[in-house]
Amino acid sequence: MDEANIRLRIKRILVESLALEGVEPEEIEDDTPLREELGLDSIDALELILGLEREFGVRIQGRGLGRETFTNVATLGAFVQQRLPESAASG
Amino acid sequence: MSDHADPRNRRRIVVTGIGAVSPFGPGVDALWEGLAAGEERIRPVELFSTEGHRTRLAAEVPELPESLPAGLVLPRGSRPSRTDRFALHAAHEAWLMAGLPLPAPPEAGLFLGSSTGGMYEGEEAYWRLRRTGPERARTKPFAPQPNGTPADAVAHAFGLSGPVEALATACAASTMALEAALDSLRAGEVRVALAGGADGLCQTTFGGFNSLRAVDEAPARPFRADREGLSLGEGAGFLVLETEADAASRGARPLAVLAGAGSTCDAFHMTAPCPEGSGAARAMRVALADAGVSPGAVGFLHAHGSGTPHNDQAEAAAIRAVFGERAATLPVTSSKGAVGHTLGSCGSLEAVITVLCLIHGRVHPTPGGGVVDPEARVDLVLGDPRAIDDARPALSLNLAFGGANAALILRKGPEDPR
Amino acid sequence: MIRSVVVTGAGVVAAHGSGLPAFREALARGPLPLSDVPTEDGFHPPEDAPRAALVPPDVTKRWIEPLIARRMCLPSRLAVSAAIQATSEAGLAEPGDHVPDGDATAVCLGTAWGSISYTLRLLRQIEEAGPGSISPFLFTETVANAPAGQVAIRLGARGPNLTLTQREASGTAALVRGAALVASGRARRVLAGATDEISPILHSVLTRYGSLTRGDRARPFAADRDGFVVAEGAAVFLLETEEDAADRGATPLVRIVAWGRGNDPTASATDWGRGATGLARRVATELARADVPIDTIGRVVSGASGSRRGDELEARTAHALFDGSPPPVLAPKGLTGEYGGGFLASALGSLDDEVASPSVGAADPDLPVAPATGPLPPARRVLVTCTASAGPFAWLVLERP
Repeated sequence: MDEANIRLRIKRILVESLALEGVEPEEIEDDTPLREELGLDSIDALELILGLEREFGVRIQGRGLGRETFTNVATLGAFVQQRLPESAASG
Repeated sequence: MSDHADPRNRRRIVVTGIGAVSPFGPGVDALWEGLAAGEERIRPVELFSTEGHRTRLAAEVPELPESLPAGLVLPRGSRPSRTDRFALHAAHEAWLMAGLPLPAPPEAGLFLGSSTGGMYEGEEAYWRLRRTGPERARTKPFAPQPNGTPADAVAHAFGLSGPVEALATACAASTMALEAALDSLRAGEVRVALAGGADGLCQTTFGGFNSLRAVDEAPARPFRADREGLSLGEGAGFLVLETEADAASRGARPLAVLAGAGSTCDAFHMTAPCPEGSGAARAMRVALADAGVSPGAVGFLHAHGSGTPHNDQAEAAAIRAVFGERAATLPVTSSKGAVGHTLGSCGSLEAVITVLCLIHGRVHPTPGGGVVDPEARVDLVLGDPRAIDDARPALSLNLAFGGANAALILRKGPEDPR
Repeated sequence: MIRSVVVTGAGVVAAHGSGLPAFREALARGPLPLSDVPTEDGFHPPEDAPRAALVPPDVTKRWIEPLIARRMCLPSRLAVSAAIQATSEAGLAEPGDHVPDGDATAVCLGTAWGSISYTLRLLRQIEEAGPGSISPFLFTETVANAPAGQVAIRLGARGPNLTLTQREASGTAALVRGAALVASGRARRVLAGATDEISPILHSVLTRYGSLTRGDRARPFAADRDGFVVAEGAAVFLLETEEDAADRGATPLVRIVAWGRGNDPTASATDWGRGATGLARRVATELARADVPIDTIGRVVSGASGSRRGDELEARTAHALFDGSPPPVLAPKGLTGEYGGGFLASALGSLDDEVASPSVGAADPDLPVAPATGPLPPARRVLVTCTASAGPFAWLVLERP
C-alpha cells in the first residue's frame, strides 16, 4: 500500500470522522498542523483512531500513540504504515 | 434572611440522616464495613453482556428487594427503573434515620442529582423495539427517560410538595444537589431537605467511557503510579439536612454539620480537566470560605479520585495548590477503587462516606496496594483505615464531565473549626 | 441581605430564526411556524403528518463557527447561540467574546429531554456495529449537561454550572435557580435559560401518550383543547444584580422580585396532577416571605399549553391563589409551543402594554379561568407559573424596572 494512497484515505477519514463541513480532503496538505489549523483535540484524536481502525483494519492501542502521531497527515500515515501487516505494506 | 457571604451569621445546617445503596449492598452499615475492610466490588458485569465492549468489569449493586420500602407509594402503573429504586431505598434509609414522618411535611424539599436516570431500561426497550420492527414501534414505544425521573419518583413516593430540584451535572450532580439543599435551607426556603443522587449502570455509559478509553481493564487504582483508568459503578446516597435549631427542637441527633459548599466550572474542555486543576482548586477555596474554614484546619480529604491519568493528576495539582505544604500530610482517600465511579450519585455517596469517616473517627483506605504516584504527592490512605482527629472538618471533592467541580465541607460537631 | 436581581440581556433561537425582537414580531403575527417532522425512521404511522415548531436549518451558523459547531449537538448549539446573544445584548461582551470576571459568571440551563437524537445515534451504533464502534464525540454530547458545559467554554463562564431536568418546568426552574444564585451571592451574574430539541422519536412518543394536539395549533384553556404543540429552541437570559447593571449603564429588561418552586405529589409518572391547592399555597407562602402582596400582581403568564390536565392544573392554581379573582391570564404557549424556551422569551415581554394573546375558540366552562384576549390594563408585576407532567412546578414574579 503506497504512502500517497494511505495519506489520501486518512484525509477522507479526517473530514468524515471530524465532521469537517466544507473541507475537501484534497485541501488538507500532508503537513497541515492538525491541532493548530483544524482544531484537533483529544476527543477528535479518539474519533480518528476509530476511523483509522475501521478503514485500515488495524487495532490501535495506547502504546506508541503519542501527541506527535497526530501532528499532521504525514505522521499519521507513517504510524498507520507501521501497523499494517507485512503483506499489505509491501503491496 | 441569611447573608451567604458571612459564615458567622448563618444558620448552621446539620445532617440528621444518611442512607446508601452501593455495590456493597443496601445500607450505610454494609457500605462502611466494606470500605473499612479495604474491600472492592469491581467484578465482571452481570447486568448485560460485555461482549464487544473494551472492558469487562464494574461495581454493581446486588439485588434489591422488589418491594418498595414501607410507607413509600408510587403512582399506579409506575415501572420504577433500577436507578429509581436505588434512590428510593437510600432516601428512605436516611429519612427513617432522621426520624421524619411519611408523607413528608410541607416544608420539606428534595434535591437530587442523576446522570443516567432510567437509561438502562430505555436502551433495552429501544433495542427491543428495533428488533420487533417499525410496525410494532408505533404502538406505545419506549419513553425516552428524562434524567429527572428519579426525582419525580422520590418526590411522589415521599409525598413532597416543597421545592424539588433535579440536577444533571454529570459526576458533580449530587454534590451540587447538596450545595443546593444547603443554600435552600440557609435561605429559609425549606425546613428540611432530602438531598442526594442515584445512578444505574447502562451500556451507554459503559460503552461511552470505553470509547474515551477512560476505563481500566482491571479495578481502578486511584492516585497510583500505574493507574490506567476508572471503573464504573452504580448506587445512591442521600442525606437529610435541616437547621440545627429545627433538629434540636425535634430531638433529632445531628450526625454531622454541612458547613459549606462551592462549585465552579473549568470552562476548558468537555472531558479533560484543566491540567493544573485550577477549577477544582477554586471550588475547594469557595467551599472553605463558605464554611469559614482555613485549609490548614482540614483533617482529611475525600477525593474524586476516579483513577484516570488526567483526573488524578489535575486533582492532585489542585490539592497542592490549595493546601500547599500541608498537602504532603493531608490524608486523602478515594472510594472509586472500592465502589467504582457511580457517576451522578458519586457526590452524595461520597458525602455519606465522609460522614461515616467522621462518625467512626477513621478514614477508610482505598483498596489494593501499589506505589502512589510520586508526581501526585498526596498522602493516600492505603492498607488500614487511618485514625483522624474527628474534631477537624473534612473536604469532599468531585470533578465532572463538562468541567464542573464541586466541593463540600463536613464536620462532626458544632464546635468552632478554628 | 437578598440582592435585587434583574435581566439585562436575552437571546432566543426558535422556529422564527433568532433574536428576541424578531421573536416578538413573529408572535404578534400568530403561532410560530410549524414544519414537517422527518418520518424516515418509521416511528410514525404512514398516515400521520407530524408537525412541530422546528428551528430553521443552519440557524446557529451565524453565531458559531463550523469548526466549533461540529463538536456540538443541536441543544448545545442552540444554547450557545442564545447565550452569545444574551451577553452581547446586555452590553457585557462583544458577540462571542469571553465575559469579564468569568469566575463569578454562572450558567444554569434547563432541558426537558436533553440530546435525544445523539443518544439514539449512539444506541444505533451499539446495535449495528457493537459497543466498540461508539463515537466518543457522540457520547460526550449525549449528557444532559453538555449545553451548559459548551456555553461555559464558549463564554469563559467559570462560576457554578447547573443543568436542571424538570420536564415542562425545566426552563422556568432554571431561571428561578439562576435568580437564587445571584440573590445569595454565589454568582455575580448568571446565564439562565432553556434548550431543547425535538427529534422524531420524541414527537412519536408524545403522540402515543396523547400529549400532542391533532390540530394545527394548541388551544390553551379551550373547551376542545386536545394537547400541545412541541417546539425546539433555546432562550438564555443574563441575570445580574441591579447594582452591577447600573454600574455598567445597562438597562434592565425586567426585575425578578420573587420566585419559587414546588412539587405536585398527586401527579402520575407521565401526566399533570390535580394538586392546585397545594401549589397555590406554596406560591402564597413564598410571596409572603418575599414581601410581594398578591394584589400587586396585575397579570398571570400561565404555562398552560393546550394539555387537558395541565391547563386545568394551571387554571385551578391561579384561581386558588387569587381567591377566585385572578387578574388577566395569558397563555403564550398557544403561540410558542411547549419546550425550548419560547415560553420564557415570551414571558419577558409580558409586562408590555401591548401583549400578544392567542385567540383560542370557546373557553372551557369547566375551568375557573379563561384566557385574556384584547387590550389589558397596564401591569407593574406579572406572575409567571409553569407546572409540569410528573409534578415539578416553578414560578417567578417579574416587575417593571
